[in-house]
Amino acid sequence: MRRLAIFMLLVSASALPAARADTQAALAVLEAECLGCHGAAAMSGLDLRTRESVLQGGSRGPALVPGDAEASLLYRVLRGVREQDRELRMPSGKPALGAEHIAAIASWIRNGAAWTERPLDAGGQWWAFRRPAAREADIDKPNPIDGFIASKLRARNLEPAPEADRRTLIRRAYFDLHGLPPAPEAVDAFLADSSPAAYAKLIDALLASPRYGERWGRYWLDVVRYADTGGFETDIYFPNAWRYRDYVIRSFNDDKPYDRFVKEQIAGDEIWPDDIELRGGYRIPEEKLEHLEARLGTGMYAIGPVYHEAALDGRQLRYEWLTDAVDTTGEAFLGLTLGCARCHDHKFDPLSQRDYHRMMAVFAGSEPKEIPVVNKMSQFGFYSGYPRLLKVEEYKAAVKRIDAAARKRLVKQVEAGFSAEVLAAYRVPRGERAPEQREQAAKVEAALTAAGLKENAAGRTARLEYTPQERDDRERLLYELGKAALAANYRIASATVLGHAEVRYPVRMTSRGDYRAAGERVAAGFPAVFTGGREQAATQEPASGPFVPQRRKALAEWLASPDHPLTARVMVNRIWQGHFGRGLVAAANDFGRQSDPPTHPDLLDWLAVRFVEDGWSVKKLHRRIMLSEAYRRSSLPVAANAAADPQNEMLWRMNRRRLDAETLRDGILAAAGKLNLKMGGRPVVPPLSADEMQGIWSPAQWPVSLDPAEHDRRSVYLYVKRSFPYPLFTTFDAPDTSVSCARRNVTTVAPQALTLLNGEFMREQAKALAGRAEDPRRLWRLALGRDPSPQESERTAGLAPERLALLLLNLNEFLYID
Amino acid sequence: MTQNFTDGYCGRDLPLRSRREFLQKAGLGFGMIAATDLLAGENPLAARKPHFPAKADSVIFLFMHGGPSHIDTFDPKPLLNELHGQPVPESFGSVDLQFTKVDRVPLIGSPRTFRKRGDSGLEISDLFENVAAHADALTVVRSCHHDGFTHVTGQNWMNTGWARVGRPSIGSWVTYGLGSENENLPAYMVMLDGPIKAGPPAYGAGFLPAVYQGTVLRSQGPPILNIERPGDITERQQRKLLDLLRQSNEEHYAARSDDSELAARIASYELAFKMQTAVPELADLSAETEATRKLYGLDNGETRNFGEQCLRARRMVERGVRFVQIYSGGRKGGAGVGWDGHNEIDRNHEQMARSVDRPIAGLLTDLKQRGMLDRTLVVWGGDFGRTPFTDGAEGGGSNRNGRDHNPYGFTIWMAGGGVRGGQVIGSTDAIGLRAQEDKVHMHDLHATILSLLGLDHEQLTYFFQGRDFRLTDVGGGNNLAGRIV
Repeated sequence: MRRLAIFMLLVSASALPAARADTQAALAVLEAECLGCHGAAAMSGLDLRTRESVLQGGSRGPALVPGDAEASLLYRVLRGVREQDRELRMPSGKPALGAEHIAAIASWIRNGAAWTERPLDAGGQWWAFRRPAAREADIDKPNPIDGFIASKLRARNLEPAPEADRRTLIRRAYFDLHGLPPAPEAVDAFLADSSPAAYAKLIDALLASPRYGERWGRYWLDVVRYADTGGFETDIYFPNAWRYRDYVIRSFNDDKPYDRFVKEQIAGDEIWPDDIELRGGYRIPEEKLEHLEARLGTGMYAIGPVYHEAALDGRQLRYEWLTDAVDTTGEAFLGLTLGCARCHDHKFDPLSQRDYHRMMAVFAGSEPKEIPVVNKMSQFGFYSGYPRLLKVEEYKAAVKRIDAAARKRLVKQVEAGFSAEVLAAYRVPRGERAPEQREQAAKVEAALTAAGLKENAAGRTARLEYTPQERDDRERLLYELGKAALAANYRIASATVLGHAEVRYPVRMTSRGDYRAAGERVAAGFPAVFTGGREQAATQEPASGPFVPQRRKALAEWLASPDHPLTARVMVNRIWQGHFGRGLVAAANDFGRQSDPPTHPDLLDWLAVRFVEDGWSVKKLHRRIMLSEAYRRSSLPVAANAAADPQNEMLWRMNRRRLDAETLRDGILAAAGKLNLKMGGRPVVPPLSADEMQGIWSPAQWPVSLDPAEHDRRSVYLYVKRSFPYPLFTTFDAPDTSVSCARRNVTTVAPQALTLLNGEFMREQAKALAGRAEDPRRLWRLALGRDPSPQESERTAGLAPERLALLLLNLNEFLYID
Repeated sequence: MTQNFTDGYCGRDLPLRSRREFLQKAGLGFGMIAATDLLAGENPLAARKPHFPAKADSVIFLFMHGGPSHIDTFDPKPLLNELHGQPVPESFGSVDLQFTKVDRVPLIGSPRTFRKRGDSGLEISDLFENVAAHADALTVVRSCHHDGFTHVTGQNWMNTGWARVGRPSIGSWVTYGLGSENENLPAYMVMLDGPIKAGPPAYGAGFLPAVYQGTVLRSQGPPILNIERPGDITERQQRKLLDLLRQSNEEHYAARSDDSELAARIASYELAFKMQTAVPELADLSAETEATRKLYGLDNGETRNFGEQCLRARRMVERGVRFVQIYSGGRKGGAGVGWDGHNEIDRNHEQMARSVDRPIAGLLTDLKQRGMLDRTLVVWGGDFGRTPFTDGAEGGGSNRNGRDHNPYGFTIWMAGGGVRGGQVIGSTDAIGLRAQEDKVHMHDLHATILSLLGLDHEQLTYFFQGRDFRLTDVGGGNNLAGRIV
């Protein structure tokens, strides 16, 4: 694409006077090939953006001698020069430029090295910053996706793999859309249905199931670094994070148009400001509920890491929140690593530090807020029942009074061991003690600490002794306390969403990411590369008077515009990645210049354009992809292609994929017949083995769900604790939730084998699977969707059912989807 | 060295260009399979050559969880004793601390006795009488500093060179750079004294592939999570199960033989099986002589736990483990507070030092006796140091005889690994509040450790989120390696 652009420039320039054509061609080469390092980044001191800076040169001296190419370093390094003992050749670490490009540079220098009126700009040329082109495929196929892929295959002389067999197809489709294996009956029905529409019907049915949103919502949760806690030592709990998680799942299940999904998450509150007041009845008007739902989307900005230490300085806390908001927005929606521009201008993309701070200003003045999600009548209901809560408080206080009395007696006992003089010293207020009194008091304090009567990090550990009367009272009070607690309501159901802070602090430029080094004030705006290189304010804001903030609304509407060069492409690429294991752009969060351009640029653009035309429907996109030949191909090798494209970049076959952590757990639970399909709600806290529990700093922050049925819920509903990720998931490459995750790691390590062979979870599930059928062949069908071969049956005949079940769940055939 | 595990880590991917990259993708488990020719030499944990000749092959990092006081151990401050009870002189300025308002609290001198030790005359307090016998082997860096004044940030700084979570720990960087010498054991092992405040991310791989994360070796129960066969299955039964598994997996692989990840997974089961023997063998101390056990303090209740861990650390290094970290004072040690002496610091430190002093000295002696100290770098440190004044913000002049956290100036020491002993690097100010001369930031310390291992901290990079990351970020300019060996 990049080379193509240069080529086109050369062609169109041929109509111009020769010197000017030379100039344009040469500068296009510089922009596309050199500015990444020798633009704003000025590596080795060389900045190629203006004629003056080129003439001035860098640490190796002047780069250009107009009229003399052979004397110009700029030209010589393209061919390679010897410098001391090593060769200096540009572009560094990349293949040399094509001969025609080098010739263009030479010719331009010989003609005097003229310049244009503007400085060069690395951004304008990059494919991802230009609107997608709606070009049709060269080859006509029923599904245009196949036309685009066929042209590439033909050009590379690659042979497409045949269609996968139907058993493979249904398993692939189930895991792809639901993250679950097909039941044996579903496999049988699909195999028996010979109608041509059987496969399309299957896809439609899978897309219509709520299991779909749970699977694809999870991908999005990776992108937005979802967690239920804030991380670090305090690891604060987000009581309402799950509402955002459920919102994401609902959005996918409802096939919410993606532009709406974007707008809701960034600015649901600013675009659809509303309350949930009743209007003459108990039902909240439908429209208000829709608006509430839209606001839940902004919960995306209320689930990031909370850098607990920053709470000691409000400015830092705010700065950390803003940078998380900008970084996540950049990666999730723009597919750009804006974070690089936090401390300095982006070295590779045309994103300045100023751009970064202008994006921060978009979020400045916003902050997470808790809003009720029940109507006023229910809120009144809570306050009408509030005295029950007071009752709870009364019983608690009564129990504590008894404990205090018992503790006091114990303290007296300890103090009885000291002389009156020492005790008198101890009673002197801390700051007023004389040195010898300090020593005396320290003895008392030490004795009290040793008796577990003083607060320290281990808490008060003393075992209190009660009088018979106290013991009776205490038991009765505890019973009453329990009864009162059962009857009381503790909170009004709420959601945590974005709202507006009462005080708006200005955003100032910072230096090297240090919030304290504040410079000039910056207004909200989008990266200048998208606005023709000029800074353009996101909103017109009144200098004074009442103000309804609209900054995020402006950002949301800009991103969700059908003309945006990145939004649709980035999402289409994520969906593609979900189906093929690798996106058309391999770096799903980085469409910038550091990444390789798409393997199929025309296909990516076509999909993006169609996505917008289809009303940003994600389900239609799934359908289009899954009905293609490309998706249905076998994943088995085709010998003829092995040398030409061993990595299958051209998509001559389907990629084999290992189940990710959640899908592995869900798949095992499903095979074992234990999966609990209950949807939504507060996160499930699964039990940990005693060994696993050893690693957690604060066991009190792991309140295991008491209902065992809850333990078998789908993985997307499990507690995501930032400071203690669920060990089974960590073992299978679940992402770190500190930043957006574009794509999971896939590692193969021995602890995975140990977990699947010896772990408690596996033993339970193997037992459950074994209990599902008398006939061992049925176990094969439940786990793998097929019968065993006679050899397989024969050699496993001696195995106890539980061992056979364990074997099946450990097979590569179970963990990898063909 | 820049390696790209290009297919599938978070943040950035490149198409897999070469067979090598493709095979690396498999992220083969600790020490992968020599058995499969296909994969020979492609193991991400295969031992790799350093950037330049190394002084040390492995590291044992002794981490005093909670933050040991430098001014009561390795950094004597006579002036502080003179100023005992007085307010902090204004000339020292103020610092941000977790609990304490500097202008409201008195200085407290150190109750410990410092003496000149060994030929070098290195001053060490009586909290570390046994370690002090090795003074001529220690390089004490008294000018360390970072910016994290709470435990999690301090522990993150020390381990990952960054306050917040998400960056790889130094052990991960080292194993990423050098691989492992033993294919049956994890390359990077951690021993805890109960959970630590920063949690698993302190020894995590961050954005590096999970193959480089630290593996916890437990002192009780199964030494590694899930390493033990369930009780109702014999070794023979498990072997049979594994044989059947292998047979089925190989049949599956036959039609997919261009997929090395499948082969890697087949081999990972064999490795897991071998680990089931190798790890318990590593953890088992019964073959050690009575003299050795005594040397490490295994004969004493107070020193047994840390002593066992030090002894296991030696066994790990012997077996080619690259990076070992031992924590003293996790949740289970030191009454739940570890070295965090906010209250009665002297009593706290006396207890904590007693539990580690003999084991550490024993470790140094043992490594020396076995000729291993030359190639093993031992590092001692903690979250940060502690303040020269008492702890506490409330109501002026708290008298809890404690010290608050102090990341602005503190001490670490190194021994072995080619480091010349008996020397002091840098200093703090006259009361030990801030690093003053020859300041050594964590990035500098990390650059130093990497250098001793033959790794150039500027070359050891990993591409993530659009840029090359280093353990030392943009720092590391004060690399000590050239001066201390």
